[in-house]
Amino acid sequence: MSANRWLATGNYFTTYKEEQRIFFTALDRLICAFFLTALFIWPFFIELDSKDMLVIDNILVAVIAILGLNLVTGFAGLISVGHAAFVGVGAYTVACLSRVIGDQHVLITHAWPLMIMLSGCVGAIFGGIVGLPALRLKHLYLVMATLSFQMIFEWTIGFMNFFNQGQTIFVGRVFWFTGQVGRKEHYLFWYYALLVAVVLCAFAVRNLLRTRHGRCLVAVRDNDRAADAMGMHPGFTKVYAFALAGFFAGIAGAMHAYLYRGVGMESFTLHHSIQYLAMTIVGGLGSLSGSFFGPAAIMMLDLQVEKLAEWAVHFLPPGMNLATALRPLSFGLVIVLFLMFEPRGIANWWRILRSYVKLWPFRY
Amino acid sequence: MKTYKISIWLLVSLIAFMLAMPASSGAKVYKLGLSLAITGPTSDAGNPYAKGVEDYFRYVNDMKLLGNDTIDCTIRDDKYETAITKRNFEEYLDMGIVFYLNYSTGSTLGLKRDFEEVKMPVIPASFHAGNLEDSNYIFLPIASYSAQAIGLAEYVVKNHKGKTPKVALFVHPSAFGRGPVEDVQKAVAAGLGMEIVEVVEHGKDLDNTAMLQRLKSKDVQYVISQTVQSPVAVMLKDASRLGLVAKTFGEKGKITFMGCHYTGGNDLVALAGDAAENYYWTTSYIITSEPGVGTDAQLALAKRYGRDDKFANSHNYANGVMVAQVAAEAIKRAKTRGKEITKEVLYEELLAMNGMNAFYPVTTVGPVTFSKDDHQGVDTLQLYAVENGQFKSVGMPFIPEYTGKIK
Repeated sequence: MSANRWLATGNYFTTYKEEQRIFFTALDRLICAFFLTALFIWPFFIELDSKDMLVIDNILVAVIAILGLNLVTGFAGLISVGHAAFVGVGAYTVACLSRVIGDQHVLITHAWPLMIMLSGCVGAIFGGIVGLPALRLKHLYLVMATLSFQMIFEWTIGFMNFFNQGQTIFVGRVFWFTGQVGRKEHYLFWYYALLVAVVLCAFAVRNLLRTRHGRCLVAVRDNDRAADAMGMHPGFTKVYAFALAGFFAGIAGAMHAYLYRGVGMESFTLHHSIQYLAMTIVGGLGSLSGSFFGPAAIMMLDLQVEKLAEWAVHFLPPGMNLATALRPLSFGLVIVLFLMFEPRGIANWWRILRSYVKLWPFRY
Repeated sequence: MKTYKISIWLLVSLIAFMLAMPASSGAKVYKLGLSLAITGPTSDAGNPYAKGVEDYFRYVNDMKLLGNDTIDCTIRDDKYETAITKRNFEEYLDMGIVFYLNYSTGSTLGLKRDFEEVKMPVIPASFHAGNLEDSNYIFLPIASYSAQAIGLAEYVVKNHKGKTPKVALFVHPSAFGRGPVEDVQKAVAAGLGMEIVEVVEHGKDLDNTAMLQRLKSKDVQYVISQTVQSPVAVMLKDASRLGLVAKTFGEKGKITFMGCHYTGGNDLVALAGDAAENYYWTTSYIITSEPGVGTDAQLALAKRYGRDDKFANSHNYANGVMVAQVAAEAIKRAKTRGKEITKEVLYEELLAMNGMNAFYPVTTVGPVTFSKDDHQGVDTLQLYAVENGQFKSVGMPFIPEYTGKIK
């Protein structure tokens, strides 16, 4: 057993069970508890306006989606460029029900946690179906399969009257124990709802990675033939990786629908799929912490570039529309720079920082 | 010593009084918000639109049209994305705006519920008739796309010689483009004597040869477009290359191309060049290639604030100026009545803008009239056609008949 349960220094794992612990030291647990408490109580002390709360809520929605994408792409090594479509499946599950039974129906407004779970399940089903080609396809060919799903999704939503041809389908305001969640508290309410969802999803992923199924994902990513030889089922593993990614994406989509109180096609395009991939790469492929850093970094970058473009448009020649190019340019540049100089993403910086703090005051 | 102390206190009091002066002078600042595509898709229209709004409000403040009160209109780029528009709108609400100017069809439809909830009067740059469905607070500045398309169709029926004219609709693949299709079909069902042969939803094609040949093989003589300039320019260039563009209206064996507000203007001529000749276009705005009071006012405003020729002559600049005129007029009228400027009061002012109280901005071909049942500002349309690289008026301003018949 460890000499000091608060410090990592001098602690050695003597059983596999110890190695699989969520928190290695009591200090880790305390820091996590402190951090979570801070996340839950800061709105009592700092009042943010609706716009900023919406930005934070958006980051949390993306975190849930990226947790899923990281499972399929980061841990299982299966590149998916149709993730926004899976998020869209979740959002349109709520939207379709809203259209069929009415957006003020009790199922939509009161049973919203159930609706979110249902959307996750629908996302998982679609994920599983789209994952089926992974039984036979790999690498670029699998990318094409997921891309085709994105295209089919966009076409279906954009042209079918049932989906309002991609225009907004409204979703009613939800109810909580205190009554209807009004406009004033809307974004704060969804901040808490999203935070709870993020914590639950993150612990679910962390726990999954401690199980046999989680280790199968990594084993299949590293060498699926070796994994097969060791008794794992690579095909099944790939399909459930897609299903799990679809589940998280579905939850993110449903929460996006409730957050915006409506669903429109333009939030689930190929551009968004690429953006999700960028978040995963920048955050750190195959790392849990990367799923938090990626969305925050990309969305904050997006906001800053937005401001820059708005400012630059007054100075750049209008005919060339250079300000419009700033956004994709900076976006592409960040991805390329990360791939070249820090392929392990921001999560690696976090790892370096943590190992430094762990060893402190010793250098090594 | 005592006198010195008193002098110091007097001086301090005087300074304090002077500092307090601006606050007690009674000058008010009315906050407005505009969210539109300054960058991204359709920014070619959004940029001059934003400048139009900005310049007119600067003019109102500089010329003290509201006395000492001023308008502070914050303009934000939304990149043509509803999510960003929503964020901008939330920011504006936190700022305490009393009037909101929106831009795209998608975001206007997407934020409709928000406008209803906060009871915010809104004028979008989108003239989609669907904006007005289940909505009390959205006001279209001019006749809807549907009215424009029906107006063009009526012109075809009135001026076509021979059998029933065969028409194709060329539309943007979105609510913005699809909106008028159903209404034109309804007008045909209600007795408008023409045949809709095909409805083409264009993609991002850079060549329309196949589509044009198909339309030709179906004896289509007129194409009515409801989209933006670039796809129309591509179509016109291809039609010109194939020798399909009618030299005169309704020329037999050729196709006459026509379009709604966002398909035309100087940008189309710049994009399509000679192929734009004889392109028929309708809008409710005046254009600077036609002399008049409105043209002079628009060019003077643009010159006053140092805008280049491209902006000064843009119909989207006129579009921006006009919505700013309507907002400023509503504030002015409410002030004249001695009312406090709130969103509720401005909403009431807009509803009262009819009959003797109709507003005549010189930037449009007709008066702005709103009422509880009519949220379309300028009902009158003007037809223009390209002659020698410039849009020129064709006939007098008109109001489409079938818009009323299909209601």
